Amino acid sequence: MIVAEKKPMEEIIEEVKRFENILVLGCNECVTVCEAGGKKEVGVLASALRMFFLKQGRKMRIDERTLERQCDPEYLEEIRDVADGYDAVVSLACGVGVQFTAEHYPNLPVYPGVDTCFMGVTEARGMWTERCQGCGRCILASTGGICPVARCAKRLFNGPCGGSSDGKCEIGKDTVCAWQLIIDRLRALGRMEEYERIAPIKDWSTDRAGGPRKIVREDLAP
Amino acid sequence: MHLMQFRKKLEEGSFVVLAEMEPPKGVDTTVMTGHAVKVKGKVDAFLVPEMSNAVMRMSALGGAMVLQSKGMETIVQVCCRDRNRIALQADLLAAYACGITSVMAVTGQEPSYGDHHQARSVYDIDLLELLTAVSTLRNGRDMAGVELLGAPDFLMGASVNAGAPGISPEVEADDMKKKIDAGARFFITPPLFSVETIAPVLKRIDRSAVHIIPTVLLLKSLGMARYMARNVAHIHVPDALAERLETAPDRVRECVKIAKETISTFRAEGFSGVLLSTMGWEHKIAEVLEGV
Repeated sequence: MIVAEKKPMEEIIEEVKRFENILVLGCNECVTVCEAGGKKEVGVLASALRMFFLKQGRKMRIDERTLERQCDPEYLEEIRDVADGYDAVVSLACGVGVQFTAEHYPNLPVYPGVDTCFMGVTEARGMWTERCQGCGRCILASTGGICPVARCAKRLFNGPCGGSSDGKCEIGKDTVCAWQLIIDRLRALGRMEEYERIAPIKDWSTDRAGGPRKIVREDLAP
Repeated sequence: MHLMQFRKKLEEGSFVVLAEMEPPKGVDTTVMTGHAVKVKGKVDAFLVPEMSNAVMRMSALGGAMVLQSKGMETIVQVCCRDRNRIALQADLLAAYACGITSVMAVTGQEPSYGDHHQARSVYDIDLLELLTAVSTLRNGRDMAGVELLGAPDFLMGASVNAGAPGISPEVEADDMKKKIDAGARFFITPPLFSVETIAPVLKRIDRSAVHIIPTVLLLKSLGMARYMARNVAHIHVPDALAERLETAPDRVRECVKIAKETISTFRAEGFSGVLLSTMGWEHKIAEVLEGV
């Protein structure tokens, strides 16, 4: 999932204080799972904003709505009939949803209510960690299913650097060395010969190096 | 030894003549230095590009140091594409310590343009941030705020996209203003063949605050003129030039003549100087500059 974190209230207030009618718009997908921008968080943020502006003696209309997804046109259409009634939207979707909402409603200012962080997993209750950087050319087959692009601080492809110590990364004791994980797993799988192979130099053209990316599936196009 | 002819002439208001000098793809610098030495004294400084078009070659800093070591002044390009803020600052300190007093900041073209299209670009900081970083170094501190042992007194310039189609002169002028505020004191334009292309932008900026140095590109053939007119969006090649080349008895000589005339026009129009770009025809620099 795409993992996001709630933005500080002060930052959101600073963006929306000039408006009268605001829609706080949540997303039922990833940001709901990571508890940053689902229906529950929409309610909490909208209430907090109402209280803040009420204390200031401001009469503001702050409505709540949560869409199934903000990254699909069909769900964004669901607010078509009410969009004109708002001066601004605070979207609690990831950066994708914020942008797609803005694209669909060109005259409506859309502000982000979360900081989009990474693609990751729920490692434990209240803890999410990164697993994938979407580099566009998956090498997990040769690294025991553990990604050095996303999980090694230096994105190394041929084993750990000199900073690996006791299975931890040099950036901090809380960070596991991805290559320690890879080696442990390859050994457990009896595939250590794969570790001996020198990885080919990475082609980053499928990553962001080649500019904004696009996939076109002609078999699916209408 | 710090060479400062370029800065001195700009400050005096004299017309400066710069020539572009690409470092080699390889370690043999004899051709580059040979071309440069031939026009030593006729060129105020050599602008050394940092892997233009994302084609890997000797770094601008390396090429510039080779030229400086032979007593020729250089303006070294610093580029956001290949280095992060740590490397950029480190190279800037090295450049100044080696006698280079002028730098030109550029964004750099995407690796997909060049010959290493699988490369990952850096873009840790953008052009405006790089200009600010140079200003910070000038003031004796690095980007982390740590004091330097000796500050580099750079004269700093930047590229400007003036005259590019699809960008309004207002936006371009605003962009130049931001760069001036960040410390840019000279601008080098893309190749210009007439003043008209850049005039709408120039009207909107304070010319006394900054030096504008147009690039004069030496055309090499009628084909090149036509190709650029059709395919290079940010360079305007007037139709009249292609027609002129078409009817010229000696096209190469005509190309040189056009470059000479363009330089004279820019001088007459009060520009601070010109950058002559010969794109592989560095042996023609002397001929173009003769008598202008």
